[in-house]
Amino acid sequence: MVWGRDLFMRLFGTLNGFRLLVVLGLALGLRAGAADVAAGAAEFNTTPVSAPHLSVQLISARDGVHPGGSLQAGLYFKLDPGWHVYWSNAGDSGEPPRIKWALPEGLTADAMQFPVPQRLPLGPLMDYGYEGEVVFPVLLHAADSLKAGTKVEAAAKVDWLVCREVCIPGKASLTLPISVEGAGTRGKVLAQGLIQSWQQRLPQALPAGGKAGFASTPTGFRVTVLTGKKESAAQFFPFDESQIANAAAQVVTPLKDGVQIDIKRDENLKAAPATLHGLVVFPDGRAFDLTLSPGAVGGAGEGDSSGFAEILRIAGLAFLGGLILNLMPCVFPVLFIKGLALVQSSGEERSRMRAHGLVYTLGIVASFWAVVAVLLALRAGGRQFGWGFQFQSPTFVAVMAMLLFFLALSLAGQFEIGLTLTSAGGSLASRQGYSGSFFTGVLAMVVATPCTAPFMGAAIGFALAQSATVTFAIFTALALGLAAPYLLLSFNPAWTRLLPKPGVWMEVLKQATAVPIFATVIWLVWVFAQAAGVNALIGLLGGFLLLAIAGWVLGRWPLKRAASVVAALVGLLAITLPIYAADKYGSVAAAVTNASGVQGPSTWEAFTPQLVEGYRAAGKPVLVDFTASWCLSCQVNEKVVLDRDDVQKRLRDSGIALVRADWTRHDETIAQTLAGLGRSGVPTYVLYSGVAGEEPKILPEVLTTGIIFDALDGLKQAKQANLTQANPSAKE
Amino acid sequence: MRRLLSNLSLAVLLLASVCAYAVRVGDPAPDFTGTDSNDKTQTLSSYKGKYVVLEWTNRDCPYTRKHYSSGNMQSLQKEWTAKGVVWLTILSSAPGQEGYMTASEENAQIAKVHAAPTAAILDPKGTIGHEYEAKTTPHMFVIDPSGNVIYAGAIDDHPTDDVADIKISKNYVSEALTQAMAGGAVSTSYTRPYGCSVKYGE
Repeated sequence: MVWGRDLFMRLFGTLNGFRLLVVLGLALGLRAGAADVAAGAAEFNTTPVSAPHLSVQLISARDGVHPGGSLQAGLYFKLDPGWHVYWSNAGDSGEPPRIKWALPEGLTADAMQFPVPQRLPLGPLMDYGYEGEVVFPVLLHAADSLKAGTKVEAAAKVDWLVCREVCIPGKASLTLPISVEGAGTRGKVLAQGLIQSWQQRLPQALPAGGKAGFASTPTGFRVTVLTGKKESAAQFFPFDESQIANAAAQVVTPLKDGVQIDIKRDENLKAAPATLHGLVVFPDGRAFDLTLSPGAVGGAGEGDSSGFAEILRIAGLAFLGGLILNLMPCVFPVLFIKGLALVQSSGEERSRMRAHGLVYTLGIVASFWAVVAVLLALRAGGRQFGWGFQFQSPTFVAVMAMLLFFLALSLAGQFEIGLTLTSAGGSLASRQGYSGSFFTGVLAMVVATPCTAPFMGAAIGFALAQSATVTFAIFTALALGLAAPYLLLSFNPAWTRLLPKPGVWMEVLKQATAVPIFATVIWLVWVFAQAAGVNALIGLLGGFLLLAIAGWVLGRWPLKRAASVVAALVGLLAITLPIYAADKYGSVAAAVTNASGVQGPSTWEAFTPQLVEGYRAAGKPVLVDFTASWCLSCQVNEKVVLDRDDVQKRLRDSGIALVRADWTRHDETIAQTLAGLGRSGVPTYVLYSGVAGEEPKILPEVLTTGIIFDALDGLKQAKQANLTQANPSAKE
Repeated sequence: MRRLLSNLSLAVLLLASVCAYAVRVGDPAPDFTGTDSNDKTQTLSSYKGKYVVLEWTNRDCPYTRKHYSSGNMQSLQKEWTAKGVVWLTILSSAPGQEGYMTASEENAQIAKVHAAPTAAILDPKGTIGHEYEAKTTPHMFVIDPSGNVIYAGAIDDHPTDDVADIKISKNYVSEALTQAMAGGAVSTSYTRPYGCSVKYGE
């Protein structure tokens, strides 16, 4: 009997869960077609007022209110792409929207609330505001004296400043019809879902048990927020103007039980303020409205963020990642060259070989250090850059492409330069040989950047969120990992004995090595076209022609000073050509190519934080693919796994929203989102389950169909578990 | 490769130096040299011994328009230059950006709106703007005869584009000049400037 009831309950529970799923599915199905997810299901009893670059209207959760009750309303802006309105503290420029109510007798309005903004960098300035769309919630109250059955109208004068590069102030007179309902009647639901999704983005008080405070530092403030768990990223938004240097980078240090944010103060702030009133926002959407007092907050976990053991573990991961990086296609061409050098040097004495191995390692380490130093300096300057940032510059890509093209020409036999004198054998002057080894190391590092090996993403993400010392230590581990195989070979003569004796075949092999390098050049040309546009491509290809001429001059009249000078001049001209072209024709074409080129099949939507937020608020699972055309690993994952027909079908069937964040060019928002996930580069694949409060799952850097299918299965189970769990309470 | 890296690090240094610079009220105003709309060289240090007002402008910015269409800015310029103050209007909009003007365009604009600055300095590269971290148009600075910044920030206390607000606004520039000339301390020496962002080049 008891057993029977239990079974019945279970069946009922499952049935109910099933029904919920169907309803959810229907709602999602309806929403999927609409351009803006959150607003998809919303109904309005007002029409939007169109103004330059936006439309604005008053909206309400329901169409009526009971006397003595209250009604959730909101001011709803929809903005043209790239345009924004501002938060209550607009930052360095701009002004927040303002609302002035003209309410009928018996109706009152609370202050308009401002959801969590985003940082909007503008050259050297930093503003705080909203792009895409935003609802500013307002709570309206009805007095007891209002008569049921009547209709009232809430009127408001609204003004705002909408900006992209230029700013346009606007104003509008808006109205909201409200019917006063008698007891027992419930009006129609209107924009309840939309308003709620924005209410969820209002800052909250810090939960009980949490602690927050600030301390003055020589350059500003150190804000500490203890939430009870490790926070990998956070942003601080000041409510008060003129307290912090808005555009300065906020240095985030994760703590064991919270987070610490170092903020630069406004240069003109005379004395430390008595309180610091601000918003601390975490990447998962939690946002706390904090009025901070000076003084330390609890000792737990203060100081350096991670224990030595953790750093060691991550360094180990980095080393492993570097080791595996040798197997990634990016580094192949360099390994060819290196292998060739190894064979050629096999006849040399052991100490020379070791020296070569060490110099090669030094080249890798030094170039990693150089790039990390530049990266850290850029970030200290307040810009959000991540790993691989150099490939976001078309200039860098062009120079790389030409360098490799020239190298390949030489390898193919058009001419001889010091670098590729590998065929000269043991008679090679040692000094020249060392610089060659060093340069090969540099080259290995540079061509390796667009490839991400397993374990690397987590290690780099961790490294860049730490102090500079730790960052350098972890990148050194990565560099050593990359250098390790060759270094080991050069140190272990037993292995090199297995290699064949140098001979004529080496010349053939050397020329064959040109093939993978030319292939790399083709890929770089494609990347350049993605970033700078097809028109700028003419410049790069013209540069190749000039390089070919320079190579011919060098080959035809070798060892002639005049020839070298001519070649150098032509080479210089070759390099300036694509840079000039990218500058002149670049940006216009890029928008077009980016939109059509990298986005791939139309099943992927272009990333905005709002889009993902919207899907998550609607309970829909989201897969975000952080990618870039210069990221070879990303391209392989997409072609081989993500965009495969059966994978696409499974993804569609699972009802997952597919969002692609294209990081080919520098993008502050994407960099911030990545930092929030504890990552600093692409590829990064993130699966949001759609269950509120659940941590997103980060998939490995190298995808297989199995990984995707497993993740989807896990998602389905989690969802079912959640629904059956949530069900009993939903019934009450 | 090496050249590229050195270029990069140079860019970093430049960026860092831009970020490190800021004008602090009470400190000496950074000196600058620029070319005005009459092709004359203007150097801040040559005005030592006089009060100097710096006004960042962009004629197409609604907030700048508020103060020019109402005649507010022009009357401030006339009032204070008559009292010996040097008024330098600075245009930091980059070519192709809103508010960029050639010398002859700026002279025509000055004649059209009857503006009366001592000089209008063309700063299309944003050098002076970056040096002063000028954020908005308008953004105002007042420098005393000894060369120290005594006011930086908004033109007045009503951050709107509404001309009607000018009547009820407290003008911070006039207040600072009046108080300083009377030998007193400036009561409000630093405010958040309001207006459109300065349209610097990339």
